[in-house]
Amino acid sequence: MNAHRWTLTVGLALAAAVVMKTAPALAHHSSAPFYDATKKVEAQGPVTKFLFKNPHSFLYFQAPDEKGQAVEWQIELGPAASLTRTGWTPETLKAGTIIKASGQPSRAEGSHGMCCAKITRADGSPIVAGGRVTEEQQPPR
Amino acid sequence: MKRIGLVGIAAFIAFTGAKGFLAVRAQAPAASAQIPNLAGIWDGTTRARPVNSETVPWGKDNFPVLNERALAYQKVFDEALAPKYDCQPATPPAIEYDPYSMEVVQMPDRVIFKYEKDDQVRTVWLDGRQPTVHDMSLQGFSVGRYENGALIVDTDHYYFDITGFDDYNGIPSSPLKKVHERYWREGTELKVTVTVEDEMFLRKPASYTTRWLPQRPGYKMSTWDCDPEASRAPVKMMPSKYK
Repeated sequence: MNAHRWTLTVGLALAAAVVMKTAPALAHHSSAPFYDATKKVEAQGPVTKFLFKNPHSFLYFQAPDEKGQAVEWQIELGPAASLTRTGWTPETLKAGTIIKASGQPSRAEGSHGMCCAKITRADGSPIVAGGRVTEEQQPPR
Repeated sequence: MKRIGLVGIAAFIAFTGAKGFLAVRAQAPAASAQIPNLAGIWDGTTRARPVNSETVPWGKDNFPVLNERALAYQKVFDEALAPKYDCQPATPPAIEYDPYSMEVVQMPDRVIFKYEKDDQVRTVWLDGRQPTVHDMSLQGFSVGRYENGALIVDTDHYYFDITGFDDYNGIPSSPLKKVHERYWREGTELKVTVTVEDEMFLRKPASYTTRWLPQRPGYKMSTWDCDPEASRAPVKMMPSKYK
């Protein structure tokens, strides 16, 4: 299993400026408390569980953390009601399927979460046949 | 034989009409009559409008003017406390803007709003009934009337809700929350202006206007069936505000 993790710092100042300019005072942001939009993580490994549910779907897979130890990652996806519109079903990702994912890392210490992820099969092809490989939009809460 | 058939159809129409079961179910063109045709399944996804966020639908032009009590609640608000992470359904003024479909059924004595989001059903009573002290509920108690080609809905008797005005900005609502909605047709679109009063938290009423588009023919409303595990799963990704 290949895996690596990196942090992007390019654009940090610009992103912060945009957030400060557009957010209303005292705003509790939808994704900012959970995920760091200024960083990016990438991992690859076998799916352990696919929770195709509302209000959010979650994809769990096993891959090394930054120390090389195998951990279970949790990717937050859109609600089943929305994923259905793009061809996803509860059977789309079965346990053991190798996936590659990159996205915004979760903020909580010791957590291994991702949101707004770009997910492909091991060979880089789309998860849903004929689908596009794009970053998932932050689902509404 | 033919005569019997016609009599039967006439009797059926008379029966269903008298019983108030002749609900309008199709999105016919907007009527110029006093009672607009609002019935059908309406699409509130990104095809119709931007997705809700901390600046939508409450942006710089219509962000509510909060009183000191509301500001204090905002300051101590903890995202992990938001009841949506335990499958508590959204309420007005948020549920109308959630990016899902909504079905409207018009009957002589009531209008029913069925939301795909959170499997919620709101009944708007047109028969003049008034709420009692026992009619407090999550979705409140709604009464309505038709006026100048629009449906006017007034709702109160809500429970206190820590994110009952807006969850993105941590703005609560009290049992004094009053929601005023005006629904009307513009061509094929369904439009609404939602206005909220809550003297416990707002210095003055706040409102937004949005629209739905007709959902595609044959569309079936899906069940939401909120999953408790999936609902709370994001919270552990967030550093805790309080120890």
